Amino acid sequence: MRKVFILALVFIVSLSCCACADEVKIGSCIYTFNDAFMLRFRNAMADESPKLGAELTLADSKNDQTTQDAQVDEFIAAGVKALIINPVNRMDVQTMVDKARAADIPIVFINREPMPEVLASYHKAYYVGAKPEESGTQSGQLIADYFHEHPEADKNHDGKIQFVMLRGENGHQDMIARSRYSVLALKNAGYEPVEIAGAIANWEKLQAMNIMNAFIMSIGAENIEAVLANNDEMALGAVEALKANDYNKGNPEMYIPVVGVDANASALDAMNAGEMLGTVLNDADNQGIAAVRLAEAVASGRDIGTIGYEVTDGKYVWIPYQKITKGE
Amino acid sequence: MAENTTSRSKRLFTTAGLIFLALGIVLYFAKAPMGLNRKIYDLPIFLIIIGVCFALKGFMSKNAPVNELETSRVSFVEFLTNNAILLAMLVLVVVICILQPRFMQIRVALDILTQSSTKLIMALGICFALLIAGTDLSAGRMVGLAAVVSASMMQTATYANRFFPDLPQVEVWIPIVAAIAACMVFGALNGFIVAKYEMHPFIATLATQVIIYGVCSLYFDMPPNNSQPIGGIRSDFAQIGQMRLFSGIYKGFPGISILIPISIVICIIIWFILNKTIFGKNVYAIGGNREAAVVAGINVFRNIMFIFILASFLYGIAGVLEAARTAGATNNYGNGYETDAIAACVVGGVSMNGGIGRVGGIIMGVLIFTVIQYGLQFINVSPMWQQVIKGVIIAVAVAIDLTKYRRK
Amino acid sequence: MGEYLLEMKNITKTFPGVKALDNVQLNVRKGTVHALMGENGAGKSTLMKCLFGIYEPNGGEIFLDGKKANIHSARQAMDQGIAMVHQELHPIRFRSVMENVYLGRFPGHMGVVNHKAMYDKTKALFEDLELDVDPLALAGEQSAAILQMMEIARAVDMKAKIIILDEPTSSLSDREVEHLFKIINRLRSQGVAFIYISHKMKEILEISDEVTIMRDGTYVGTWPVVNKETGEKLTNDFIIRQMVGREMTSQFPPREGKPSSEVVLKVEHVCSPLRKSFQDVSFELHKQEILGIGGLVGAQRTEFVEALFGLRGIASGEILLNGARYSAKSPGFAKSRGLALLTEERRATGIFGILPILENTVIANQKNYAHLGILNERKRRIDADEECRKLNVKTPSLATLIQNLSGGNQQKVLIARWLLTNSDILILDEPTRGIDVGAKYEIYNIMLEQIAQGRSIIMISSEMPELMGMSDRIMVMCEGRVTGFLNKGEYSQEKIMALATQFAVHKDNTAA
Repeated sequence: MRKVFILALVFIVSLSCCACADEVKIGSCIYTFNDAFMLRFRNAMADESPKLGAELTLADSKNDQTTQDAQVDEFIAAGVKALIINPVNRMDVQTMVDKARAADIPIVFINREPMPEVLASYHKAYYVGAKPEESGTQSGQLIADYFHEHPEADKNHDGKIQFVMLRGENGHQDMIARSRYSVLALKNAGYEPVEIAGAIANWEKLQAMNIMNAFIMSIGAENIEAVLANNDEMALGAVEALKANDYNKGNPEMYIPVVGVDANASALDAMNAGEMLGTVLNDADNQGIAAVRLAEAVASGRDIGTIGYEVTDGKYVWIPYQKITKGE
Repeated sequence: MAENTTSRSKRLFTTAGLIFLALGIVLYFAKAPMGLNRKIYDLPIFLIIIGVCFALKGFMSKNAPVNELETSRVSFVEFLTNNAILLAMLVLVVVICILQPRFMQIRVALDILTQSSTKLIMALGICFALLIAGTDLSAGRMVGLAAVVSASMMQTATYANRFFPDLPQVEVWIPIVAAIAACMVFGALNGFIVAKYEMHPFIATLATQVIIYGVCSLYFDMPPNNSQPIGGIRSDFAQIGQMRLFSGIYKGFPGISILIPISIVICIIIWFILNKTIFGKNVYAIGGNREAAVVAGINVFRNIMFIFILASFLYGIAGVLEAARTAGATNNYGNGYETDAIAACVVGGVSMNGGIGRVGGIIMGVLIFTVIQYGLQFINVSPMWQQVIKGVIIAVAVAIDLTKYRRK
Repeated sequence: MGEYLLEMKNITKTFPGVKALDNVQLNVRKGTVHALMGENGAGKSTLMKCLFGIYEPNGGEIFLDGKKANIHSARQAMDQGIAMVHQELHPIRFRSVMENVYLGRFPGHMGVVNHKAMYDKTKALFEDLELDVDPLALAGEQSAAILQMMEIARAVDMKAKIIILDEPTSSLSDREVEHLFKIINRLRSQGVAFIYISHKMKEILEISDEVTIMRDGTYVGTWPVVNKETGEKLTNDFIIRQMVGREMTSQFPPREGKPSSEVVLKVEHVCSPLRKSFQDVSFELHKQEILGIGGLVGAQRTEFVEALFGLRGIASGEILLNGARYSAKSPGFAKSRGLALLTEERRATGIFGILPILENTVIANQKNYAHLGILNERKRRIDADEECRKLNVKTPSLATLIQNLSGGNQQKVLIARWLLTNSDILILDEPTRGIDVGAKYEIYNIMLEQIAQGRSIIMISSEMPELMGMSDRIMVMCEGRVTGFLNKGEYSQEKIMALATQFAVHKDNTAA
């Protein structure tokens, strides 16, 4: 028994010595350090790296692709064993992939998805991120779940959901995906969604508030059964407008479910106050952990099946959005 | 001839007013029995108000001596062109009322006034810069600055993501003063650059605009906030923008937003400043002929400084009110407000060449803009079309205004 | 082809509430200089604007070479051979002279400008007009005279048949006027017709062939300057009588009293920081004195008085105002010390065109109507009304925009403005420029009234008769320096001219 223990100890020490001598160096470029979401993302990466015995170096690309390319060169020259890249321009990543291939090190893209053919051009190129359509799907599901639990939410009892859609900036890919898939989710849940009013509020609380106000006047709050907003700020604007008309202030008779996306602090606050139904979280923490684990595993030649996240097509790690409602 | 027209217009107003008034009263009592409640909403009350206004105008014009030249040349066609935008707005309102009768509600009118309030305060600030043949591009960003600064200090103690985690619950006026003071610092900067170096306000305020946005974003990005939208606003602060007066004096009355009396008071103050003070007269003089103002011994430097500081004071108020009304703020608040405010001023008859402009006109300009924007939203017109219509209004309004001054 | 190159028949033009022209006619013969005269507000400019397509007449017809002409824009007027040289020229200051001459019709092909051709053509034009100016020089650096020649060159190049000259000599020195007349004479002999608008009798009688006189928007008559049958020339008095519709006994009101011996302003060795501007100016101004400042354009008289009023810097020298040291810091300071300045450019730096007469009258005196910055409307109105009445400002009401008044009335409002501030020393820079004869006389009267009330006046004037007729003493400047003083009784045009050209002569000598 004692022998076994000593053996085990020696094994562990030698292993950790191995790690000391041969710590996996990872270089990571973030498109800018001035982004709240990426802040959470890079903090998660920084926290995870020591646990894996990896040394993570972060670089601020200052929203400039040329800077980022130069940073990649520096990392490779410094002998990093893996790259984690949050590209400035997702259409302009082929050069970075080529550099990684020349150095024969893995390159993991995060947050901004490169074109599939670029990823396909190098067997050690990966992407870790969330599917934009999923945020829409989940916000739709939040409403569907609510209607499932509260049949009385169908105020006119026509079996349809009369909703207001507050959209983000025109043409933004998130705006398109979230708008489309939230409605789709309602249909898939067996409801018939009817958009009785919709408008572009450019992600802004103020615009959303003014627009929602006009809708309440023109359609009548009693005829609105749900509000779907492409982000939390607009959802909160809608909430302010509703509150100004005595809705969502605690009276269950006067309540319209409002959902957003982002899970920012104000939204969580509003949900806890019962003013907003729910939101969807883009899970920066799990994305950060997955990115570091993936990079480390490939760099040290381990099987990528061991990282604890499912790898799709040998290339993609999709981290699901998380639904958040009151109390979570 | 002049005598005839005078009395004719007098009679016209009085009769029209009385007709509206009578119609309104009849409808008011008839609507419930006739089951029109859901068809015409508050139309009778609007008719009564319009009727009283018209009739009063008719009676009043009797007492006021009418300039003969003025009336004799106001032909019908000229009346139409002079008021084209106003008439276009009225037509639009009628169309909207037919398409969506809910538009005829007192609460809709109050909502329009509420939404006009902050815009009006902005426009009144910017009109000073326009009156001296300048402009102020930094207005919108100042609103953002004031909103962020005031909101950042007005969060509830329990809010998870506080801007200043250790800040005690300060008195409400402290952040307001801080926000307005921050704006006034940049207003002074505007004024200094314009007055001292005789830089065109367009360039000077463009530079300040960029600086303000940068400074505001830096502030907004300070840890632990890191560019998160500011939320968790204390209700006592939010009340400044959300309070409703006289709500419930009768059933269904939504109350008058506190913003309406605030903007009315500011209108009166600005009207007084422009018309009854040395400073106001100097503004018109500098705008009318800067060189002549210098020769007349007006201290142009001091007046221009004061213009921009006063304007920034108003933007600061607008910013605080926006933050309070929406119970939140981001550094993007107020983005593009200056163009809306300038457009409203211009539609309201303020000349970009300086020296011409009245508070009444500015109020009209802002109201016209809000009514049209709100109305189009009301009947769910696509935002792209809203942009197109807005642009056409600006061009047409200014074109009409200019032809008035350039009659051959 | 008829007798006349240009016939304007029964031209009527009404503005809202005002009949500016009432059945006016103007007939101009080929190869003549036709003077158009009348008091300001008589409708001369309006008539010319109708001819030049700026205004659309309400009635009447225009014939060119006997054919009915359709002129609806300045462009059309130019295409039909009519050119206009405005009184106030607005060249594009930062472009070359030649570009200004060919503005709007640059020589070249397919939008590419041929600079060489433009240079050569301009050079040739200038040589023809005996103008020694580099076509590549910046227009903004040229004198008024050269700019005017530039406009005439432009008209010549466009083969204009009729050239309208609006107050062409108002800012020219005598020598420059001479040059201008030489050019006019040359072009006249080539068949070009001129319409010559001016207030200066002497010039009119010297240069023109015929005179048309207008009064209050109506046509008074047309007379040849020299009667062919009798050989008699028109007289000053006759023209003035026709213009004002009454007899004018004298051009200047009689001066009563004498300046006191008390010195109110003492200027000693005052120099501008700019080397080319005024230098070493010294003089004394007595109470109740009208001190005239004579000199040619470029004598730096305006610059000097502007510095005295705090509009420009002073490098050295001393100024004593009522015995106390006075430093001209700013116009506001000068105002508070009892100085007043009526600038030369009434439109540019005097009036607030888009503001009513009321505001224009009280603008410099607001402090007296205000308590804590808030104005007393009634007091302002009473004061403005009283002062405008005293100075006989002709206007329907105080609410009338000042830009709608004639030049003379505008000037009266400006004087009223400075009388309200209780100024003791009035500095008048070309007080009667562009003002008609009747109003001139009124301005002179006002000046004498102010003297009688104990004020003092410094008057810059480029019109010799005015300078000699009104001044108690004349100080002559030349190229920024005071070249001499003349006392009443020893005035003569020759003496003034000699002093005014003193350095120029010297320079010629040294050059020779």
